[in-house]
Amino acid sequence: MDIADYDVVVLGSGLAGLMSTYVIASAGYKVAVISKVFPTRSHSAAAEGGIAAYIPGNSDPNDNPDYMTYDTVKGGDYLVDQDAAELLSNESGNIVMLLESWGALFNRQPDGRVAVRYFGGQTYPRTRFIGDKTGMGLLHTLFERVSGLDKVDFYNEWFALDFVTDSNRIVGVLALQMKDMEPVFFRSKAVVVATGGMGMLYRHTTNSYINTGDGYAMALRAGAAIKDPEFVQFHPTALYPSDVLISEAARGEGAILRNAKGERFMTRYAPKKLDLAPRDIVSRAIFTEVKEGRGFPGGYVVLDLTHLGEEYIKERLALAVEAAKSFAGIDAITEPIPVRPAQHYYMGGIDVDITGRNPDIVGLFAAGEAACVSVHGANRLGSNSLLETLVFGRETGKHVVEFLKNAQEPQSQYQNETEKLLDDAYRFVKSESGVHFGEIVNKLRDVMWDYVGVFRDEGGLKNALSEINELRDMAGKMYVTDKSKVYNTEFFNALELRNMLDLALVITTSALERKESRGAHYRTDYPERDDDHWLKHTIAYLRGNTVEVTYKPVRMTRWKPEPRVY
Amino acid sequence: MSVQTYEVIFRIRRYSPEKGSYWQEYKLTVDRFTQFTEALRRIKTEQDPSLAYRASCHMAVCGSCGMKINGEPRLACKTLVSGIINKYGSNVITIEPMDYFPVIKDLIVDWEDFYTRMFKVKPRLYPAKEVLEGKGEHRLKPEDQRRLWKFAQCIWCGLCVSVCPVIREDPEFLGPAAHAKGYRFLTDPRDTITDERFKILSDSAWRCTYCYHCFSVCPRDIEPVTAIKKTRALTKYVKEPTNVTFNGVKHSEAIAGSIKTTGKIMESLVYLQTYGLSRSLKDLIFIAKAGRGGSLISSILEEKPVKNVSEIKKLFEG
Repeated sequence: MDIADYDVVVLGSGLAGLMSTYVIASAGYKVAVISKVFPTRSHSAAAEGGIAAYIPGNSDPNDNPDYMTYDTVKGGDYLVDQDAAELLSNESGNIVMLLESWGALFNRQPDGRVAVRYFGGQTYPRTRFIGDKTGMGLLHTLFERVSGLDKVDFYNEWFALDFVTDSNRIVGVLALQMKDMEPVFFRSKAVVVATGGMGMLYRHTTNSYINTGDGYAMALRAGAAIKDPEFVQFHPTALYPSDVLISEAARGEGAILRNAKGERFMTRYAPKKLDLAPRDIVSRAIFTEVKEGRGFPGGYVVLDLTHLGEEYIKERLALAVEAAKSFAGIDAITEPIPVRPAQHYYMGGIDVDITGRNPDIVGLFAAGEAACVSVHGANRLGSNSLLETLVFGRETGKHVVEFLKNAQEPQSQYQNETEKLLDDAYRFVKSESGVHFGEIVNKLRDVMWDYVGVFRDEGGLKNALSEINELRDMAGKMYVTDKSKVYNTEFFNALELRNMLDLALVITTSALERKESRGAHYRTDYPERDDDHWLKHTIAYLRGNTVEVTYKPVRMTRWKPEPRVY
Repeated sequence: MSVQTYEVIFRIRRYSPEKGSYWQEYKLTVDRFTQFTEALRRIKTEQDPSLAYRASCHMAVCGSCGMKINGEPRLACKTLVSGIINKYGSNVITIEPMDYFPVIKDLIVDWEDFYTRMFKVKPRLYPAKEVLEGKGEHRLKPEDQRRLWKFAQCIWCGLCVSVCPVIREDPEFLGPAAHAKGYRFLTDPRDTITDERFKILSDSAWRCTYCYHCFSVCPRDIEPVTAIKKTRALTKYVKEPTNVTFNGVKHSEAIAGSIKTTGKIMESLVYLQTYGLSRSLKDLIFIAKAGRGGSLISSILEEKPVKNVSEIKKLFEG
């Protein structure tokens, strides 16, 4: 097997991965960026509405970073590590201006400064935006910047199989080039996991097809913990029926949710913030309306933009208009858009602190949606994910540089380990019969949506667990019909399914254990938040087929839990 | 919402080095909202897991899923199956990989050539040192933001390159997407390497034939050809124009002059004014040697000004 030597391997080429790469390579270290897709095709591109930032001198005069931290902490239902939220707020202004200086085309005020708009859960407007393709605009800008650096090698359309470790220390990553399926051992002192989310675990998701949670599962198999795995965000306004995201920017700009009777139903659920209440609250409100017979046939409500005026809508919400037109045949300027909740974001992730460092494995770092810095707690606020990728991508990069200064050269005892990991992967290709990945993956997505979705209860979660275990057994006998050695997507889909099944088990077990409702985790059998017993992070390990769940305290600085009313 | 469904036969052009090239058919029931990416996903997970294609965001921002649907270059995600059925009045639909790019497997093509073109235009802002050091801050007029954002929305899908006739013939032409990207930085008031950008873009811009294929297929309405036109319009700022640029400008001027004085494009006059007498004569001899001299000369002799030329002059001077 070929060996490639680097100081650091960054897995994933979205905003978090590229930001870390920028910092590490700028410090003079050699970085390999490994990605399943060409960087601009990463899921960061799909982020629409904006990036939250308190910019001194260019924010509401009454606003300050503490309000921003408070909004984030409250939005996350107090499961937020407050040191992380403070860092996020304090760095928000300068990270946005950094991307601006690299060419990002933020919408402008008449005087040429960066413009701003409201998003859900914000006390004052803080969302900076590039039309409603903010993620795409930022991703291209950052990729353009990083692609000009000397110390970076991009391995685009390479599939990472597993970390290679030696007594709980990273020694590298095993990856295959998708085009020719040749395995290479990337020997490195550190790995930054920035592989994004896992929306493909759910039947309905706004996520890209590539979001199969690979990084989480690689971390689990290597012995690292996933923190707060039960917290999965469902975005209230995915287009019915194709699940294309209609940005929260629509409601930020004044769009109104209505049920089949034409009622502005959010008055019942969030009398003050109304349509701009946090996502978990709005998603539950929509499904409650549907369940109680006030939805449209098929199970949706509508998002009404029509009162905003054609010109305003076209300039600020172009993508929403385009999506409604292309994917539902609706003219959003004159007709309300049909919407329902869909999986959107994963608050859980590889357990790291504000330095991006994982405590279980030396040399393992994570950033962005793949990580759980605990900045979003039990529910992420809109506009905070782009911000997190950049702020914590940068923080992680800085701490990787610190780590590298004293890191030992990786040992050469990798041969057996890499061969074994490769054999594990190829087991799927070698079987001559059995079920193929598609049958299992479609069942898994149904199970997760039906039982581990917006509303959960003990019976459903137990049912999900037994189904997932059955699917894991089936996957053991999975086979790959395509034996080709060229761009064998079936083989990679099978490996993605292995990752999805590992994570599904961890999510469901942790959801069953947490006997309260907090943020996006809503148990109909335990509908109240229970700070006395559950104001703590779940820490989950995967040991073979068993999930080991422990807990650790939430880091509080200045904000005491209070009832979460909007 | 209607629950009308359609029985569709997808004829997919498949390829692998082991099996070569062949057509395969799949039957699938879809509804009026089914995107092609979803149809492909269902074929792959429900019928034939070996089918290879690229798809990621399913909302037309990642540029992964360019392919030919009934011969039209399109993003699979931005195309509804029902739309194609209605357009062509048939439930049999063909899907093929994009043209121009070498096929790797089924619908997956090799993008290397496309990326090389994009990186040739230095696709990144080179801001002032003060700004990079945090000592200064950019301001950007809202109208500049809007103008640049139009061209910055290119998602690198490659559809425009797959249909461009010039890149197949002229190795010096950068291609439509690269020109859109290049123009976006060329006219960004925050950029500092304008002369270098002119050097990269100007010559290539004059190699485009204005066929407008890129304009028609772009799923983001970038209008690469508009970027090329606007780049040409800035030629007067080019410090060292190449022969192609020089002749291009003269050609434009000759066309304008011909229309102004005769009301039409007098081909021979335009040629003469663009390339000068000696080159024109040389070319005439070349064409005569090829046995095409007679028809050329008769077409030249038939060129006459339109009536009421004075009206056209008025328009020009208007």
